[in-house]
Amino acid sequence: MPPGLDALKHIVVLMMENRSFDHMLGSLKAVNQQIDGVDGTQFNRDTQGNQVFVQPLAEFQSQLDPDPDHHFPAVDQQIFAGDQSATRVATMQGFVQNYFQQQQDVAHSQKIMYYFSADKLPVLTSLATNFAVFNRWFASIPGPTICNRAFAHYGTSFGQVGMSMFYPQGKSIYERLQDAGILAKLYYFDQASSTMEVVNLLQHQPELFGTYDQFLADCKSSKLPAYSFIEPNYTDHDNDDGEQLASDQHPDHNVQAGELYIASVYNAIVSNPALWASTALLVVYDEHGGIFDHVPPPACTPDGHSAGPADTGLSAPFNFDRLGVRVPAILISPWIPKGTVVGTDRVFEHASIPATVTNHFIGSYTASTAREQSAQTFLDLLSLDTMRTDSVVFNIQD
Amino acid sequence: MTDAAPEPNQSKKRKRGSPKGIAPPTGDITFISVPKPPPSAFNKNRRAGCLIKAQLLHIQRAESARLPKEKRVGVKLEDIHTEAEAAAYIAAVTRILHPQGRKKSRPKPRS
Repeated sequence: MPPGLDALKHIVVLMMENRSFDHMLGSLKAVNQQIDGVDGTQFNRDTQGNQVFVQPLAEFQSQLDPDPDHHFPAVDQQIFAGDQSATRVATMQGFVQNYFQQQQDVAHSQKIMYYFSADKLPVLTSLATNFAVFNRWFASIPGPTICNRAFAHYGTSFGQVGMSMFYPQGKSIYERLQDAGILAKLYYFDQASSTMEVVNLLQHQPELFGTYDQFLADCKSSKLPAYSFIEPNYTDHDNDDGEQLASDQHPDHNVQAGELYIASVYNAIVSNPALWASTALLVVYDEHGGIFDHVPPPACTPDGHSAGPADTGLSAPFNFDRLGVRVPAILISPWIPKGTVVGTDRVFEHASIPATVTNHFIGSYTASTAREQSAQTFLDLLSLDTMRTDSVVFNIQD
Repeated sequence: MTDAAPEPNQSKKRKRGSPKGIAPPTGDITFISVPKPPPSAFNKNRRAGCLIKAQLLHIQRAESARLPKEKRVGVKLEDIHTEAEAAAYIAAVTRILHPQGRKKSRPKPRS
């Protein structure tokens, strides 16, 4: 076993909200041509037929308001540009036209093509260029949050393509680990933000749940579980410490607040040397949020479910045989060579998370879905023979 | 709102030493400055979006499933419009469902 894997005692996943790869990390193509981002030539046509090119004009807030549609029918239009024929091809040409439908404003619809310049996102871009960035990590479903997050917890959404609450028919990664006598925890930000895993909260609290404060304390006291899943703050609200800014980066929440949150999670790990040496941190987004990305989602192994027209809002059923839009994903560990770019020949999605965690901590597990069993795992990226001694530390400005 | 002019990242390498109590590993450390959002970014009166509305429905179902009527918070979801209102209801139910998550004194943000 490579020494980095031998040393690996903790996997931490931080799942953010609703931003596409090109929107957040596309600018890095200018830094490293291996990163499959944007170069200014990618475009969509607006409703008047004009070419709308990608531009580095994304702002932290108030630009993508109203929230771009990212429910199943809208994402289908974004990917296939409205073509619903049997022979259709994913062109990624329907983003501007789909966003136009929300305000009937041509100029506003063009903002869906904007991406961040690298200097605006110092946390995400530094982590991407210092550790491993994935060129092909896709949302699991061309749809919204809840069904996509389900893939990170269960390796399937049990046939769901929307936001409905559902009761799982299989074991979550937390239950699998618990059954094996291994500690796992889902940390939500605070009680006012709570969790998107409400069913889990009902069924498995308190043992599987903690708060972000507890995560920080667990890092400091070296009591982090083998597996941790961290949720951001989903709302602007007050608590006993005053104003709490939403940190999920969901439009129209402030993107800088999410940068701070990612930085604080990373800093909590890197500031404990023993933890840093034995932890892999995955920062990943649940779905693209309706924002442009230029890479067509590929076909995938079906997970045995089918969603009918009543659920998809389209005439044809969806057999869970195509992934959603590409999202940012970065794996962080001192055992990863600096500047690793995971190639376009390796496709990952959220089922890769339970697949990887199960494989590392449990080993063989036959009860997972066909989708999860076929999902790529990512710990081979911890390939160094000796641990890096260089690192990045984020200094939050007052 | 438009973005403030971005701060340069002010990356620089030092040997050991660190700001604000961080004790990173040995070796070359690159310190990267991260600007905070402006105070105007906070808007608890923002209308709750589709994600929060879905969470409210889930929380309400959890409340109904777990608690007898007399112990429920007694809020109608149609009366919740803003993020602050949503957060208040979510907090009230989560306090009952998961009292272990009660807030203790919060450490200052790490740098």
